[in-house]
Amino acid sequence: MASNVNKNKKTFFLIVFLVLTVLCWCPIGYGSYGEVSLIMGMPSWAFIMLLIGAVLFVIEWIYLFWTDLALYDDDLEEIIAALKTTITEESSIKEN
Amino acid sequence: MVAVVIITGICLVSVYISYIAFQKGFTKSADDYFVAGSSLGYFVLIFSLLASFLSAFSMFGMSSFGYRLGFGSLYVLTANLVPLGFLWYYMHKKTFLLGRARNWMTMGAPFGERYGTATKIILVLVVLVASIPYLVAQIQGIGVMLEAMSEGMISFHMGLFFVPFFIALYLIMGGMKGAAWVNAIQGVFFSIMVFVLFFFVMMKNGGFVPTMEMVLAKHPNLFQIGWAGGKVWSYPMIFGMASAMCLGCVCFPQPFMHAYSSRSVKGLKAMFLSFGGLCLVVITIATLIGIAGNTIVPGLKGVEADKIYGLVASATMPDWLAAFAVAGGFTAAMSTVNGLVFGNATNLSIDIIKTMRPATKASELINIARMFVAIIMATCVVIAWNPNTPVAELSIIAFGTVAVTFFALWGAYYWKRATKTGAILSILVGVSLNVTFFFVGGKAMVLFPQKSFFQLNGFLAAFIISGIVFFVGSYLTTPGKTEEKSLSLFFHPVLTK
Repeated sequence: MASNVNKNKKTFFLIVFLVLTVLCWCPIGYGSYGEVSLIMGMPSWAFIMLLIGAVLFVIEWIYLFWTDLALYDDDLEEIIAALKTTITEESSIKEN
Repeated sequence: MVAVVIITGICLVSVYISYIAFQKGFTKSADDYFVAGSSLGYFVLIFSLLASFLSAFSMFGMSSFGYRLGFGSLYVLTANLVPLGFLWYYMHKKTFLLGRARNWMTMGAPFGERYGTATKIILVLVVLVASIPYLVAQIQGIGVMLEAMSEGMISFHMGLFFVPFFIALYLIMGGMKGAAWVNAIQGVFFSIMVFVLFFFVMMKNGGFVPTMEMVLAKHPNLFQIGWAGGKVWSYPMIFGMASAMCLGCVCFPQPFMHAYSSRSVKGLKAMFLSFGGLCLVVITIATLIGIAGNTIVPGLKGVEADKIYGLVASATMPDWLAAFAVAGGFTAAMSTVNGLVFGNATNLSIDIIKTMRPATKASELINIARMFVAIIMATCVVIAWNPNTPVAELSIIAFGTVAVTFFALWGAYYWKRATKTGAILSILVGVSLNVTFFFVGGKAMVLFPQKSFFQLNGFLAAFIISGIVFFVGSYLTTPGKTEEKSLSLFFHPVLTK
């Protein structure tokens, strides 16, 4: 059950990241050729692009620091110990 | 004279910081020298990574872009780099974890363990060859800036020795820790100076909005996409530039070196996340300074526009403060040289020398790396000697050349079926295509949309073909002993989170 929830969360973040990345890389849907209106002294598409960048930054921050999908320092010791055990086992197999 | 004093001061402070790292014994073991003993906190990591990537181009080049090409320039180095927060985390989470468990110190290490020695050596050489023109362009830029800022007191050729000498000195003394501290301080310095200059420039015409309205009245095209008959900032041009700059950043040595140097997971995540956020602010401001420059120093054409950053500083600030502002761009160039020289010296000493002579002691390795720092710097100075050498042009292919290692790295971490043959072929084909495109069609073919590539630029075409070669090459070949053996570590169940 918990793994399904995590899978859904991962899929959600993946889709959001992909969509916002495309929007950060190209003004599809919010910028058109020719004359433009201004928002705070900037062309509307440039303002929206910076806003999308800021939104993506916040979502990345949530993903990295406020979800259980990313790594945390609490996990580090256990992960490194497991990896080192594997390395030691492999070395002993090699020596034998 | 003020500028020369400021730059000499920056160089001396940098050497002193590195000397402290040396004095405190932070360069005694190989682990300390190459990856700062995995002890860097997140503040140093954030600004060190930022400074090691942002070159003089980020300040002077982007303001020149803004001056000449307007708001579309924001797609080159601002919001388009924000995706690096999750891209770097996704690609380098295993670099950090496996690096910590295996004591990796170089970017070649994951390639070597996953695909074998040949792939590791090819990668090191590809990164070195791609880095040299980029480094030379930075050193030439430093020489030109120094000559201009000192009003001829320090000649171009003397400038080529002056700063690289200091850089080599503090890299040799302080290792990764010294370099990271210096980078962090330089990163904070140039970020602050960009803000200060932005404030002065905008206040000249009564604030940001009035300034932009003045620019709009005279140059409405700078506010548009698809101007000049759809040629400038067309959708394909924007997409090509934005994605190339972002993808090109993923596989440079800097994120590897900083991942190994991070003390904690929190530091690693903060560093990767902050890079895009800081670029979004700092480079946007540099670009806006250039756009506003049209109201202060109008009429600059071609390469003359590259001086807009310094010219608006002189026009709006007291002389001493203008010198500090321009010195900010200067430190950006210095810190990029640091990051790349140190990354390559580490790669060469550990991935090549240690591989050839496994019995080499740690102390010998450190001395060999120091020697490589000196050799790389000296080589770059020799190449930079002739200011007409087209290295600035050649440095354009640096990002494309390094970016083609993306698939081999992704496959190493996330695709069990990846093979050595697929990895080597994808790197070699990608590099060859980038070089071929550059020599056949120049920088236009690498950077601008091409009809023959379905409106992609050469960079993206080479990147995509390199990916196809990687998958096809891997499917057509069988994983060897090295690939099979590496699976237990690279795909360990604890790495799934």
